[in-house]
Amino acid sequence: MVSDDSPVTRRSYLKATAGTAAVASLAGCAFGGESSDDTLTIAGTVPETGQFSSLGEDLRRGYELGQSRMNEQLDRDVELILQDDESDAQTLRQNLQQMTSNNDVNMIWGSFSSLLVTAGSAFAENQNLPFLGIAFAYEEPHRNDNYEWTYSPFPKSRDVARSTLGTLDLIPEEERPSRIGIWEPNSGWGKEQADYWENRLGEEGYNIVLRETFEIGSQDFSTLISQSQSADVEVLLSNPTPGGGITAVNQMQSNNWSPKMLKFVRGADPSAWWSALEDAGAYALMCPGWVPGLTGNGNQRLRESYTSEYDTEGEYMPVNVGGSYNLTQVALQSVQAAGSIEAGDIQSALRSETFQTVIGEFGFEDNGLPAEGELTAPTGQWWDGAQRLAYPNTDSERSLDFRYPIPPWSER
Amino acid sequence: MVAGELISQSIVNGILLGGIYAVAALGLSLVFGIMDIVNLAHGHMLMVGAYVAILVFAATGITPLVGMFIAMGLLFALGVVLQKVLLKHVVGEGIEQPIIVLFGLALILQNIGQLVLGGDARTADLGIPGSGIDLGFAFLSLPRTVTFVVAVVLIAATWAFLQYTRTGQAIRATAQNRTAARYMGIDTDRIYVLTLGIGTALAGAAGALLSMLFPIDPFVGWSYLLKAFAVVVLGGVGSILGTLVGGVVLGVSENLGALYLGGGYRNVVSLLIFLGVLLLKPEGLFGSGGGGGE
Repeated sequence: MVSDDSPVTRRSYLKATAGTAAVASLAGCAFGGESSDDTLTIAGTVPETGQFSSLGEDLRRGYELGQSRMNEQLDRDVELILQDDESDAQTLRQNLQQMTSNNDVNMIWGSFSSLLVTAGSAFAENQNLPFLGIAFAYEEPHRNDNYEWTYSPFPKSRDVARSTLGTLDLIPEEERPSRIGIWEPNSGWGKEQADYWENRLGEEGYNIVLRETFEIGSQDFSTLISQSQSADVEVLLSNPTPGGGITAVNQMQSNNWSPKMLKFVRGADPSAWWSALEDAGAYALMCPGWVPGLTGNGNQRLRESYTSEYDTEGEYMPVNVGGSYNLTQVALQSVQAAGSIEAGDIQSALRSETFQTVIGEFGFEDNGLPAEGELTAPTGQWWDGAQRLAYPNTDSERSLDFRYPIPPWSER
Repeated sequence: MVAGELISQSIVNGILLGGIYAVAALGLSLVFGIMDIVNLAHGHMLMVGAYVAILVFAATGITPLVGMFIAMGLLFALGVVLQKVLLKHVVGEGIEQPIIVLFGLALILQNIGQLVLGGDARTADLGIPGSGIDLGFAFLSLPRTVTFVVAVVLIAATWAFLQYTRTGQAIRATAQNRTAARYMGIDTDRIYVLTLGIGTALAGAAGALLSMLFPIDPFVGWSYLLKAFAVVVLGGVGSILGTLVGGVVLGVSENLGALYLGGGYRNVVSLLIFLGVLLLKPEGLFGSGGGGGE
């Protein structure tokens, strides 16, 4: 504390304060202003441990490939700070808090699943920072939480239903199934997705013969299997967690029952699906946002970058690499269009621009939803250890003719 | 299939599942009944047993039915070390200290599981193709039937051990009155070591059996601990027959609850039964307040 009755000390204090202010001001002109303003700093989290850990590496790779691309394309440095959120919403919030406190963050990305993405989104909305989230099909938060900063370049529940209908249309009319069963996870997104399936397929003349709920984290699907068998379900639709989806198929096998068509959105997304189920997991459909077999808008370059960067000879990239890379393409184009890294400028660009990404060409509504019907909602199918594009049809060698029906267990 | 067959199928599935629930609860009941401690790490020991069976299967192709014995051996050793190194200092010192020690152990096991094996769910293959026996009124899934039979054999073997061997009788005597047992020349410290070893070995067996039917991840410990608690309360602490009946009642109730109320209420049903028994018959269906067996 400086006392008025100690003039020498007071004078020294004033000198020191003025000196510090001058140096700081000079430093701001010479270094701080230019360097910190020029660097685009992105904070994000990925689930490298915890229940979604099988997807963490894929997300990280997609983001890192995108960061490299942004560094090439933008006339400024792009710094990406990624941390492990442990598949836990509270850890995710703590990580984001720490990253934004210690860095001049301009944008936030990630993570996986509606649970984690909504947690990140809530933080970004509070901080007035642009937020991009994938693996986030849940629509209701966009409409009810008055999102201003959250944008989701990803197929939403309505798009998943549209894609399901498109996949069914690939089956010749005389062979097309009509009896639909829906296993609804006991969650907001579970209900929303089941409503879309029921309404959209019902409008097209399909017969919804079963709609039953189950608890997320459930270990025993035997009752649902018995009910589906009893209702003669031909097409089984659900959006379980990856662990739940694997459990359900295991138990279908042990109960010797299988539908003719199986679509497990999110459940069949990770590569853990095949490592856990192998041939029992074949024919399963998913709608993960991106699938090998899509063409145009940088797909070829993405594949080349991936194989060269990660020294892999696999023909089929994990689906979540493409999904997260698509997010980075939106980020790149929004910054280019904004011409700055100010949050408000990027937000305006996200609202007004159209984006070309590996999942098509689309813009956003003000609430952050992708404009209806614009982006591609690809449906993939597990076949021979790889996820390949089943819908829509493309001429890529990484797509396949949709395989239907699933043969009985005894013939597999 | 008509509605009646749906009901009978749910009951059959519940009975088959209940057998494994009973094995999962048996070790907890035994340790609680004899040592008077609540093993909060029981579910995580079960998880370790499951991982042992899964890893043995993945590395050697040995069926988890055999891997179960390896898991039991390792878990027995874990129980012995746990009692000799940690719990002997806190058993009999009130309920809080063992609970804190075991809660800490549960967290350690969960984190080790996550660190070593990641968070992915894993399963083992029983090696039985997806087939079973059609009884007309219900389908008997072969993997579930095999695991149920093994579970019942394990429970019967535990009962016979406690009933007919001198060590088993010493365990029961210690459960009835530790001081009197000591006067009769029973080494009660050794009995505690043995009891925790058997309890954890049974957790390992339950885990190995569960790994053949359900995916296992490092976080499943808590949910199976809750189910085991419900079975113990339902059947009565320390009662082996009660544990079997409690497991079957819980399995059937869950399945019928899921059928009539929806799968989202499966765990609500088991929780309601748990609370109902605590309220109306707190000693459980077969409980006598202690004892290692009937």
